[in-house]
Amino acid sequence: MQHEEQIYLTPMPVRIWHWLNALGIVTLCITGLQIRFPEYVNIFGTYKAAIRLHDTAGITVSISYFLWLFYYIFVGGNLLKVYFPNLDDIKHGLVVQAFFYFFNYFLGKPNPHTATPDNKFNAVQKLSYLAIMLALLPLVIVSGILLMNVAPFRGWITMIGGIKFLVGAHFLIACSFVAFLFVHIYMATMGHTPFAHFKPMWTGWEKVTHQ
Amino acid sequence: MRVHTKMLIVLVLAVFMAATEISASTGGNSRCIQCHGNHAIIAKGGGHLYIDPAKFTGTTHEIIGCTSCHDKVGKRHPDDRIRPSRANCKECHAAVYEEYAHSLHGNNARCADCHNPHAAKPLLSVSGRDINVQCAKCHDGAKTLASHSQWLPQAALHIDALPCITCHTGSKNYVITLYIEKREKDKPHRDFEPARYEDLAKLLPAAKKTGALVDSNEDNFISLDELKKFNRGARYKGMRLWGMMTPEVATHTYQILDNRWDCTFCHASGPEAMQTSYVAFPDKNGTFNRIPVEKGAILDILYGTPDFYMLGATRSVTLNIIGAIIVIGGLLVPIIHGTFRILTIKKRKGH
Repeated sequence: MQHEEQIYLTPMPVRIWHWLNALGIVTLCITGLQIRFPEYVNIFGTYKAAIRLHDTAGITVSISYFLWLFYYIFVGGNLLKVYFPNLDDIKHGLVVQAFFYFFNYFLGKPNPHTATPDNKFNAVQKLSYLAIMLALLPLVIVSGILLMNVAPFRGWITMIGGIKFLVGAHFLIACSFVAFLFVHIYMATMGHTPFAHFKPMWTGWEKVTHQ
Repeated sequence: MRVHTKMLIVLVLAVFMAATEISASTGGNSRCIQCHGNHAIIAKGGGHLYIDPAKFTGTTHEIIGCTSCHDKVGKRHPDDRIRPSRANCKECHAAVYEEYAHSLHGNNARCADCHNPHAAKPLLSVSGRDINVQCAKCHDGAKTLASHSQWLPQAALHIDALPCITCHTGSKNYVITLYIEKREKDKPHRDFEPARYEDLAKLLPAAKKTGALVDSNEDNFISLDELKKFNRGARYKGMRLWGMMTPEVATHTYQILDNRWDCTFCHASGPEAMQTSYVAFPDKNGTFNRIPVEKGAILDILYGTPDFYMLGATRSVTLNIIGAIIVIGGLLVPIIHGTFRILTIKKRKGH
């Protein structure tokens, strides 16, 4: 017998951060496209407007990232539990979850993972978000800050390997974010209804089915 | 026919006389330089009369000779105590003089305020930084930075990577010129400084030209491989190549050009416009000799010019392809998974 339960999965600060971050990252991707290919893309009128907006969105995402980090470490206190895969996740969780996404899902079998506030993400999600939130996002923020201030940080940029390396890294990480965005939005439609995972990111409450 | 023959004889004679005069003048230079190129003249209180022979040698003004401009030097000079005549720049450079007179600079600086006639060099043998040093004689660096910062993102970076004349004259044909900069190897926290001839000469055997530092096969052409090889090892030798966008042709129409307010003037010129580059090496006399670099070298993904990048203009095609593969990889997930999802709708509804 199945019964449904509503759980408060995503607290308000996390939801505000998520949508601010989403808006910021989409803005960064579009302005970044104009900045890299100005002779083909002109969405924001002038090149300078695209750069100013890119810088503003970049600063917004950076601040929002540090607020997120602060919240999870000092207020929520569950950064390790939520984002770091445990031994069981690595040994079994990754395979079971990947097998579900690529095989069992198509057979209509249930998701092996049930979300709780302290165990929001399955093993695949944990590993992906860990890479994004604790590696790629900090790297894109640091490279972006250096690129916004080339003259003052010239010594550091030289030490890293030069501006070409920095621009290359910033660009490739940005491409990874675009790729992630496609996968992220698509996977959000894989709930029991296509919008089942979108609602809790807006209201905070998720409907969980128990057997 | 006879008239034509006479005219031809007169013309040949005139050319011959002119050539003789020039050669006599050049020969006369050494007599002038004997005193004016000697530091003793400074000690005697004639600092303003000193001419640096190293800087004067090879200039067009040296070739035409001292007496071309100072034609009334008496035989008893300097004992006659008569100040020799000085030519007006306008006499030879009438078109430039006229152009300059109508510019924003016209009433504020004389020719000699920017150009030392005894060290006048062609545009292409002056480094971008040296051009800006001339401008900084009047235009205070901090004020220039402050005024540009009001509208120009990363103004300090732009000022460092552009000679002022790139934007403030009707310059043409921009290229990227790379200059060697150095810092002490054991002081990595120090800023890089433009390398002087002496800094580079001591790194090479005496017979070699400084160009050999990058142009290792000394064929007066720097291939992308030679450039990469230099850049890979440069950091360990306390060196780097600093790129500037320099004009091949400059005018004297000092002005504020409307199209330079628009960033796309440079940044949307596309990689096709950024194919030509040179490495400029300092010479003993303070001039720079350029060696052409393989076309497209500055668009190389990493080691072509690790310290030079122009947003939008010097992007690497290889990097674009890698980026596109990453994005397409992300896009393929919903496409492939979504297709299977649609194909298995019926099966999933059964559960």
